Amino acid sequence: MSRKMSRRDFMKLLTAGAGGVVLASCTPSEPETITVVETKEVIKEVTATPPSVVQEELADVLGTFPRRETLITDILTGRVGSPDNFNEWVGWKNRDRGMQTLANEPLWSVDFATGEIVNGLADGDPKYNADFTTCEIPLRKGVAWDDGEPFSAADVVFTIETLMSNDQWSAHSFFVENVKSVTAKDDNTVVFELAQPNSRFHTRFLDRWGCTWIMPKHIFEKETDQINFKFNPFVGCGPYKLHSFDPQGFWTAWVKRDDWDKSPAGMMYGEPQPKYIVYQNFANEGAKILAQLTHQADYLNLSSDGLKAILAQSKTSRAYQPTFPWVVNNDPCITGITFNTARAPFDNVEVRWALLLAIDIVAYAATAVDGSGTLSPVHVPHLGAYPKDYIKPMQDWLKKFTIDVDGEAFAPYDPDAPKRIAEYAKGRGYVFPDTPEFTEQAFGLGWYKYAPEVAEKLLLKNGFSKDKDDKWLLPNGKPWKITFLCATDTTTHATRNAMGAVQEWRKFGIDAELFPSDAGANLNGVGDFDVSGNWPAQEPWGAGADLYRTLDWYNTTYIKPVGELTSGHPSRWCSDTLLEIIKELRETDPADTAAVIEVGTRGLQELVKEMPGIPTYGYTGFLAWDETYWTNWPGSENAYSQPYPHWGPFKYQTPKLKATGA
Amino acid sequence: MNFVKRYLIPRLIQYLLVIFLGITAVFIIPRLLPNDPVNTMIGVMQARGQQLEPGAIDGMVTSLKEMYGLEGSWWEQYVAFWGRLFRGDFGVSFFQFPTTVNEMVGRAMPWTLGLLLTATVINWPLGNIVGGLAGYYSRKPWSRVVDTIAMIVRPQPYYIFAFALLLILGYAIPWFPVAGGTEIGRKIAFNWPTIKDILRHSFLPALSLVILGGAINFQTMKLIVQNVNAESFVQYAKLGGVTENRIVGRYVIRNALLPQITGLALSLGQIFSGALITEIVFSYPGLGGLLFNAIVNGDYNLIMGITVFSIVGIATAILILDLLYPLFDPRVRYT
Repeated sequence: MSRKMSRRDFMKLLTAGAGGVVLASCTPSEPETITVVETKEVIKEVTATPPSVVQEELADVLGTFPRRETLITDILTGRVGSPDNFNEWVGWKNRDRGMQTLANEPLWSVDFATGEIVNGLADGDPKYNADFTTCEIPLRKGVAWDDGEPFSAADVVFTIETLMSNDQWSAHSFFVENVKSVTAKDDNTVVFELAQPNSRFHTRFLDRWGCTWIMPKHIFEKETDQINFKFNPFVGCGPYKLHSFDPQGFWTAWVKRDDWDKSPAGMMYGEPQPKYIVYQNFANEGAKILAQLTHQADYLNLSSDGLKAILAQSKTSRAYQPTFPWVVNNDPCITGITFNTARAPFDNVEVRWALLLAIDIVAYAATAVDGSGTLSPVHVPHLGAYPKDYIKPMQDWLKKFTIDVDGEAFAPYDPDAPKRIAEYAKGRGYVFPDTPEFTEQAFGLGWYKYAPEVAEKLLLKNGFSKDKDDKWLLPNGKPWKITFLCATDTTTHATRNAMGAVQEWRKFGIDAELFPSDAGANLNGVGDFDVSGNWPAQEPWGAGADLYRTLDWYNTTYIKPVGELTSGHPSRWCSDTLLEIIKELRETDPADTAAVIEVGTRGLQELVKEMPGIPTYGYTGFLAWDETYWTNWPGSENAYSQPYPHWGPFKYQTPKLKATGA
Repeated sequence: MNFVKRYLIPRLIQYLLVIFLGITAVFIIPRLLPNDPVNTMIGVMQARGQQLEPGAIDGMVTSLKEMYGLEGSWWEQYVAFWGRLFRGDFGVSFFQFPTTVNEMVGRAMPWTLGLLLTATVINWPLGNIVGGLAGYYSRKPWSRVVDTIAMIVRPQPYYIFAFALLLILGYAIPWFPVAGGTEIGRKIAFNWPTIKDILRHSFLPALSLVILGGAINFQTMKLIVQNVNAESFVQYAKLGGVTENRIVGRYVIRNALLPQITGLALSLGQIFSGALITEIVFSYPGLGGLLFNAIVNGDYNLIMGITVFSIVGIATAILILDLLYPLFDPRVRYT
């Protein structure tokens, strides 16, 4: 018996089939959900408030992972281009998707929240000889790779020799220039003989959002083509190991090691709490916000507007600070303005100072970050140990510091600037503790006066003039036009600073305008700009007192002519005085804190005098935590660790997180 | 033979010339941008916290130029580029060194093809058939209702429309996931759970493309049909007693379909460029995001790899369309 299917029958069957597929695909793949009574609160004040009761359905699973045992965060640097390749010693492999944060262990890490340098695979500080030509590093005993093989000095020696053997490794040039030989004194001690004196050689292994990590010798030595070796699965000494990844690069999942106590993180801080940690890419901020509102993302990096949206919508999300300004304000980076001192008139220090004094920092900070940045008058941010070591001790010097204006001394420093910003914030209706401690922590210790009349005198003295419309003219009589190079992404601090500066300078009578470009890295590097939103100074380490990283970036030996990629700071500025200070610092033992601070302070003073770039406020990050599944986040009231999921010490944070049992 | 001499061979020459010029332009244009890939790579590495000691940067510039194949004059690079291209090798991605462009494109292509082909295969016939009928029966109430819906939907900016879908069906009524091509932890395999998972994740992106694409096809087709409907041959057919179904199917829609077929060929060719906004809104994998990141990072090889596919795709689609046109339009002859 057979019957020819009619066209109508076929259409019915097709419709039913299509409907079935759609309905099947609509069904959640893991349908089991339970109803729980959830106790969460929105933190409005610093002091604790009684929890409110929120009833909602919470999922048992996140994808294929048990939700209560899983922590999920976003990938700061976006979708992973080559997800199956974990060979991070060559090219860019999005190591913030878990390699540097969970599965890898450096010799040392910077924790900028505590201002400490944490020993990882190293068992203490490096020991240099008197002329800094040898460096001995003690290694931690009892550490094992996540495949069970013991870690030893042989791994370190193998790593360095491998990196020196092929110029395609990213760190090849550095080690070839700096290392004469490397030997294992014993299983737990490695000794470097340096090619030239270098008192900061060890910082190459200090994880400050990146460093040189150690390769597992027992894996890499078997590979003949180590450059193209994908190192999949990844093997590290951190407390987590690779679980799985999306071949399209949208997520990478890590699982807690059974032998987590063989990792330095486990030895120091105990058992990590989340069993699984997933790094997921969200291609737009709206998707991130929706994910956290539906409890599918615990830990998010956001824009200012994104954070405000989450805090307004979510009953379970919180920011780094429980009150205004909410932001993460202890990132070890100072934002601001960079002058191209290879281009007139920015080669003139009086012009640079005039442009600074034409800025009303309250209006500037309002435009840039709605008053939420922490000011710093010097070229290091107001965080960690820097206020204690530098900014506070420099207050007297800053107050006494003067610039010459038509033969009269003018003291530009304004210790009341933070209070003025606090007043602005109060005027906006923001509620926050009205204490000197909070004002200092949130708004800083001081900045510079708004003195347009002084700025005017400085410019007139240098041949500038004004036209009939009160617009500034260059000494050659042409209109003064400043083009401010910034990023096309308006949420970046380069652009936020640019918006603040352009507004202030236009108010002052200069024809200033924004120049947003995606080629900013290149234009800054080759010196094709007037003024840019590039960091006004290289970021310091973020822990310890040493400012060598910041100051050496101005070294004249790195400066290239305009048109060529500079190796140093894009301002292309240096002075003989600073060169001497850099030399002195290079010859100072980094472990000699008092000496380092003394030399570093003189370096900062020279930068203030010459002002090759204007420091404004410290980098502010916008972070949202969902407290549905995990709590005890390192917020400002409990800053036991740096707060980001993309920095190396995130692995040290995981033992302190608490599961809510939701 | 006349067809081969007078049409096919000149058309093939034109096809190859378009591809040659297009690929040459793709080679030149990124090099005119101010985004030097080596400087950008170093800038990005610094911005991402990589410790690049100032003294080591010079050495790195030299190494990167060598690795990226950027040493020598443009002409030397151009010749080397064609040499590689004939071997089907687009080189390595600058940014994801040493991952090859072929590997990256090959990984993203199935997602783009799967999504865009499906969306096109649904929205094109749907929009055209409904649009054709609505144009012919333009006074019927159902035609006016569908037309009103299309008029509301079509002017919506795609990003807003797609995000609204995400909000409604991903958040307010959480039937579909808010991000990704598969659920987290899913290992891709050819089995029903994986297929179901992919369908579930691709439903919203596809729906957004089908609705907006369908609305565009609907409105275009409706307007064309209304014009064709006024032609004298349709009036004669009606007067001659030809059945209405035959007039609609054989006379009106078939004539009105010709410009739509050209549009379909171009759409199919453009598939190889990906659907950037769809990929961004739904965090969906594909070529669009890959191309966008390549442009931002100055990744010449990856830009060239993707755009070569696009150039060849569009040129081939137009060639095939030209060759097949007589099948759709009996008035076209190659003799």
